[in-house]
Amino acid sequence: MRKAFVITLCILSLAGLILLGLYGTRFALYLATRIMILSIFAMGYNILFGKTGLLSFGHGAFYAVGAYGMALFSLHINPHPLACIVAGLCLAFIFSLIIGFFCVRHTEIYFAMLTLAFGMMVFSLIWNLRDITGGDDGLVGISRAPIELGLFSIPIAKANQFYFLVVFFFVLSIAVIYVINNSPFGLVLSGIRENDRRIEFAGLPLRKFRLAAFVISGVFAGLAGSLSALLESNTDPFSAHWSHSAEPILVSLIGGIQTFTGPLIGSVIFVWLREIIERFTQNWMLWFGLILLLIIMGFRGGVVGVLSRIHRIILGSDTQSQRIA
Amino acid sequence: MEEKGFTRRDFMKAGLLTAAASALGPGVLRPTGLWAGTSKIKGPIKVGYQAIMSGALAGYGEFHKMGVIMAAEEINASGGIAGAKLEVQFRDSTLKKPQAIKNARYFVDSWGADFLAGVDSSGQALALAPVIAELDKVIIITHAATEKLTEQQVYKKGIRQIFRISSPTYQDGNAAAFVAKDLPAKSWATISPKYEYGYTCWRMFKNTLSILKPGASFIAESWAPFGTTDFRPHINTILDAKPDGLYSTEWAGELITFVKQAKQAGLFDKIKHVMFPVGAAMDVLEGLGKEMPDNIWISGRYFFLYPDNNQNREWVARFKKRWNHYPAYVSETGYSAMFAIKKAVEEAGSKETRKVINAMEGMMLDSPAGYRIFRKEDHQAIYDVPWGLTKTDPRYPFKIMGKQILVPAKDCFNRPPFEGPGTKPPF
Repeated sequence: MRKAFVITLCILSLAGLILLGLYGTRFALYLATRIMILSIFAMGYNILFGKTGLLSFGHGAFYAVGAYGMALFSLHINPHPLACIVAGLCLAFIFSLIIGFFCVRHTEIYFAMLTLAFGMMVFSLIWNLRDITGGDDGLVGISRAPIELGLFSIPIAKANQFYFLVVFFFVLSIAVIYVINNSPFGLVLSGIRENDRRIEFAGLPLRKFRLAAFVISGVFAGLAGSLSALLESNTDPFSAHWSHSAEPILVSLIGGIQTFTGPLIGSVIFVWLREIIERFTQNWMLWFGLILLLIIMGFRGGVVGVLSRIHRIILGSDTQSQRIA
Repeated sequence: MEEKGFTRRDFMKAGLLTAAASALGPGVLRPTGLWAGTSKIKGPIKVGYQAIMSGALAGYGEFHKMGVIMAAEEINASGGIAGAKLEVQFRDSTLKKPQAIKNARYFVDSWGADFLAGVDSSGQALALAPVIAELDKVIIITHAATEKLTEQQVYKKGIRQIFRISSPTYQDGNAAAFVAKDLPAKSWATISPKYEYGYTCWRMFKNTLSILKPGASFIAESWAPFGTTDFRPHINTILDAKPDGLYSTEWAGELITFVKQAKQAGLFDKIKHVMFPVGAAMDVLEGLGKEMPDNIWISGRYFFLYPDNNQNREWVARFKKRWNHYPAYVSETGYSAMFAIKKAVEEAGSKETRKVINAMEGMMLDSPAGYRIFRKEDHQAIYDVPWGLTKTDPRYPFKIMGKQILVPAKDCFNRPPFEGPGTKPPF
């Protein structure tokens, strides 16, 4: 019953995404693309935050590294989009491995502060290496060259074409994160969140698992960053700033950190709500902040957390009995 | 910000209504009555205007709005643009690139804007360039100063939809060098913002001054990151170097802080020749009031006492009456941008992008700042802004430009093709 419900929901969402791509207006596609990129960022981030229980304030750095890696590869070596994205991912992997190596030695506030410091270090690197990164102007003129796949090539220059590339990576990311979450590895991560001492006593290398979670989330941040560089055709040093690192945290909190789809739903609310508010007032920051506050304070366990609780109440005894069984 | 009440509120209401209508879906609000069918141009002319309206620089956004709203009121009161009503919607640009791009896309794709205008940050302007090419609507930049926008994006890459009505970094770097060459100062130093704008202006100033005055030397640089509140280390660095002249492209609130702290440190007594390329901004002059020292060289993108003619004087008086403020340079550029759109659409007889671009290239616009000509090659408006020495005037509660030196734009603006000999001043 529950499984059937979830599968139907997945198919319906996918159909919705495809229909939007075929019939949506250019602005709707643009917003949807941004939502998907933010979702990839946040869902990857939540492997570290919700799953492993480590609060990082520096993942904007990996987002930026992904974007700059992608852009530099595109501008200087080869504009093939897939190769560029892979380059961005590799750079994000290297950075998150190095930074993670130092950060996972600590937890809680010490971990958060370390990631914040490293994140801002990357930010000032990007800001100051003007000859490579273009300083605050960023790198401009990143083109969306067609994807050459041997026999045929797929154009991604137009908004609706690029949209489907992002849908592809979006669905792929969700699938990969789902597999990670439900693997024995994911189980260990949950264990680390609940009680890291026990994991250590079970003979598992705690730091290595933490580092792995850190790197995985860093690479997803890099993917989001490189897609955003393709979307906006430029890179922004502020994407490495801590204020940008706070976005996946906020989004995860809105949607619910202990849920799989929480960051996704959070991203939808975050982008869409802001867009609506901006249409009515220039004091959008105030209203946006107030509404986010209400959601975070009022919905315990996030929007998805509350919805699934309601869903459980409606289904009531059915799920209860399933659980006992 | 003083609100003069009735008319402005009405205008905001209209803005809100259109926003609501566009949120409900296109086609809800169609022009009716007076504005419908009176001309060949269908419907209202919609302009999407973005500027910084939040954070420490929100004052700039207000000044943008004052100019633009006033222009819209005047244009609509006298029959609109070729009989069509001018509608403006504002959005906060937050100085962040993704937001600037989202705003532009919202304006064109969702609200249905015919034109775009505004933009404060150079980084945003550069990031917008490819988006503008995709959206294929004319944008008039009213503040962002980077010469890369017009030299590279418009001239080299051929993104013809971009125009700039405000003066670019040439005014800050090259024109300053023309003023500096006649000063007795030989050695120069800078305290400037640690980002592209600061670097670019200082480089231009150095290059041009070295040619104009071969003996000039540049002995110290101190770069202040965005958001600097304590300039004392920077001031000490510069004072230690003992230069004859100081050149600083600090602007807005940071310039105010800098001047206050420099005064405490006695910088203006030790360094006799100080130049602030964007010191003639109203927020700085009003913010510092009497604290701004006399005999400082300042300039901007427009100064309300120049040109000293009836047209400008009347405009400043109207502006003062409407908003109880003297116009800042972004007010003038925003105001004139609306009239540039009016003139271009009326000359083209259409709001179609191609036709408007053709009309605007080489177009001469009569504006409060004087005659502007949109240079055909790079779409940069050519007009003169003076450099002047600050002085106390009992008629104003702040310092104004006393002695003025005019470096004509045609002498200090880089010329196409922007590379090779004869493209950079002196000519």
